[in-house]
Amino acid sequence: MSLDINTKKAKKNAWRISKERGIGASRIRVPGGYCDAEILGMVQQIAQEYGNGYVHLTTRQGFEIEGIHLEDMEEVNKKLQPIIDKVGINQYDEDKEKGYSASGTRNVSACIGNNVCPFANYNTSELARRIDKEIYPNDLHFKVACTGCSNDCAKVRMHDFGIIGMTMPQYDPSRCISCNACVKGCQSLSVGALRMENYKIVRDTEKCIGCGVCVTKCPTRAWTRSQKKYYKLTIMGRTGKKNPRLGKDFLVWADEDNIVKIIKNTYDFVEEYISPNAPARKEHIGYIIDRVGFEKFKEYALKDVELMPETIINNNVYWDGIHFDNKH
Amino acid sequence: MGYKFSKDEMAKIFAKLAQDYDVFAPVVKKGDGTFSDVDVVRYDQVTSLDEIEFNKKSDYSFKEALLPINETLFYFTEDETTVPKGPEKKRLIFLRSCDIHAVKRLDQIYLDNKFEDFYYKRTREMVRFVLMGCPNTCENGFCASMGTNETNQYDLYIKVNGDNAFVDVKNDEFTETFKNGALEDVKPDFVKENKVKVTLPKNITKETMSSELFKEYGSRCINCGRCNFVCPTCTCFSMQDIFYKDNEKVGERRRVWASCQVDGYTEIAGGHGFRNDNSDRMRFKVMHKIHDFEQRFGYQMCVGCGRCDDVCPEYISYSTLINKLAKECE
Amino acid sequence: MKNEYIPQLSEIKEVIKHTDLEYTFRMAFDGEVKPGQFFEISIPKYGEAPISVSGIADGLVDFTIRRVGKVTNEVFENYVGDKLFIRGPYGNGFDIENYKGKEIVIIGGGTGVSPMRGVIQHFAANPQDAVSTTVIAGFKSPEDVLFKADFEEWSKTINVIKTVDNAPEGYEGPVGMVTKYIPDLKFKDIENAVFICVGPPIMIKFTIMEIQKLGIKDEQIWTSYERKMCCGLGKCGHCKMGDKYVCLDGPVFNYTEAKELFD
Repeated sequence: MSLDINTKKAKKNAWRISKERGIGASRIRVPGGYCDAEILGMVQQIAQEYGNGYVHLTTRQGFEIEGIHLEDMEEVNKKLQPIIDKVGINQYDEDKEKGYSASGTRNVSACIGNNVCPFANYNTSELARRIDKEIYPNDLHFKVACTGCSNDCAKVRMHDFGIIGMTMPQYDPSRCISCNACVKGCQSLSVGALRMENYKIVRDTEKCIGCGVCVTKCPTRAWTRSQKKYYKLTIMGRTGKKNPRLGKDFLVWADEDNIVKIIKNTYDFVEEYISPNAPARKEHIGYIIDRVGFEKFKEYALKDVELMPETIINNNVYWDGIHFDNKH
Repeated sequence: MGYKFSKDEMAKIFAKLAQDYDVFAPVVKKGDGTFSDVDVVRYDQVTSLDEIEFNKKSDYSFKEALLPINETLFYFTEDETTVPKGPEKKRLIFLRSCDIHAVKRLDQIYLDNKFEDFYYKRTREMVRFVLMGCPNTCENGFCASMGTNETNQYDLYIKVNGDNAFVDVKNDEFTETFKNGALEDVKPDFVKENKVKVTLPKNITKETMSSELFKEYGSRCINCGRCNFVCPTCTCFSMQDIFYKDNEKVGERRRVWASCQVDGYTEIAGGHGFRNDNSDRMRFKVMHKIHDFEQRFGYQMCVGCGRCDDVCPEYISYSTLINKLAKECE
Repeated sequence: MKNEYIPQLSEIKEVIKHTDLEYTFRMAFDGEVKPGQFFEISIPKYGEAPISVSGIADGLVDFTIRRVGKVTNEVFENYVGDKLFIRGPYGNGFDIENYKGKEIVIIGGGTGVSPMRGVIQHFAANPQDAVSTTVIAGFKSPEDVLFKADFEEWSKTINVIKTVDNAPEGYEGPVGMVTKYIPDLKFKDIENAVFICVGPPIMIKFTIMEIQKLGIKDEQIWTSYERKMCCGLGKCGHCKMGDKYVCLDGPVFNYTEAKELFD
């Protein structure tokens, strides 16, 4: 019997139709790239039983189990259920045992974050999981990533939404011993926002990017992190064939709740303005903004958003980048 | 004299104590550690027993409650100086046995190294010490090796155990406060043995000074000074003159904690420094702790609290260095 | 109790310019002072610095200051009549008694001459107090020479070799390091010789090596250490060397002690 497969449906079901006829790959999402090691055993089992024994660790922190015969899709979907449950991925009730409910909105990726990394300013995978819960399943093409600090190891500036951890450095001059470690650290590792004046530190608030280097360098706890966690939200970075570009700062010193709200609001914006000709309803959000204007995007994105007084919003954002679709 | 109280009774007594004394004790500072979502335990003023961290050893010692990190010595104008007031209230400091032994070292330098220090003395006279027990050894401490695991040099001992609090009163100043408790034989918890054991080098000679160990450890050191700042026996400070911006003829002179590992410590006017090499700084610190102080005052400086090993971001273990040095000196 | 940190006001009676960088402040002070002791002097716009006594007279004390760092641009001559905060004297200083009746050699480099100036003055004024007194003073160049008038005065009663490391052509006078003149020193009784040398660490090191070649014993050599002394009271720790505090136990050390001290 010839293979008869609805490839459009299979793709939305997180399957890749591979270049080899009759062979596909199962794409497993792991929000924030953080999972119980038990998942690895489950992946191994599927790979060895149904695939060719190999797994690709995806650029978005999932697993892609290679070499699965497309006729085994249904059976493999059943095997995916414990993985979906364990990782804690949203699924429509009717999709139980039937694999992933959507694939357009990509896995929310994250750097290792403050579980492990000394530089990170927050628990990135936790936020990635929260966002995944809020936006998934959805087939609109959204890429979101979380990174612990301005080093941006997660390369969030190549995402539609990039979330960069910040801390508002708290300075207690009575604990400062003028050792200059923070000034040197900020100069060599960050933006050089600190200087010594009368044996105490002056922080240039315009320059400071909230990276937290001063806090990690301080030997006396004169510098500490703010109790409140802060984030920078960068928007509309992308890779791609037409006009790849780095995401630009939209909000600085923002809070988690509003960022989640803005991402969700943007789904309404895309639903409204996505090009009817978008192949598989896949269009980078940035192109939509280019078409309808930043003001329109803002109107949607900031619905019911009440920013904290300290949050800086860039009311106009301009992007550049390489243009392959015209002769600029 | 030992007493037993219910926790509630103790809470009331403590509230009263906190009115009569400024109470300084180790407190968990949420999220104030070096890294994100990491706590730090350090000294702060408390008003209730619940605020005190009895279990975890403080990351920074009690020292800052006695010897402020920044202390204004006086304010100056062109022809006058004004000394700020000292503490008005008596002070209770909660601390462990190793730290009580460290007080003796601070006293040695500040009260009995030729000159008496005016500022230290006026605070020190107001201080009473409350011993906190150590039912178990901490991770890196080696108090038993240094003979600082036990002490009777305390004014009060307070232990909270479940719903009860136990107090041993050594200073009559507190007899009245605690007299209504049920009499009980209260013996402080003291560590008998640590995981870390240290043997001090015997026969330290000139050759010891040029041990390769100092080069090795010095090369790993990043000169942050954390080992000095957490140490309960380090006493160094630098002078700072602050000239106010709006009137440069007026200002204040402060003394601020200093570290022999941090750049500039030995630098004299004109820029010449005497220990530019890290191995020299490492040697200087270690020799002070295990040799020089003892030569001058007749007993060891280091009390084996292990905080320097707890805090070093480069995992330099002072206790391991000492043990290696002892082997070399055999 | 006395608060040792509180300085007293002292009037600047005179400012003597030696070179573009070095000045002597002659200041009012009543009290016991010995050469080699030091004061903590509050220098405007800079802060406190330990400065050794470079001269002592009735109700007066001299401090020779090399202006460095933050005070480079201050015009010191304008300070006459002003008052500065000072506290001291601190440290042991030189004990003239140790050198009486001896064949004294005093070797100084640059500002290192300052702490010994009082000793030299004593033996220049009372040459009979010693069997002989020789001063070897080294400066970088003719422009860097301090206490020019003093040298002329002293050379009337004691031997003075004032040398410069380098000099332009045509310079009349000794050229070369202080160590150059040590081997030629003559003694009636070498056992009765005493050496005092003060200067930069490197100069002290080579000078003592040269002195030892003469067969001089450690106990015949004296030196004074310049270290960072923030408090002068044995508290701040910066000047500690081995089990000694330079501010309390020094800055003058007999070489039997000094040789045991490591930075």
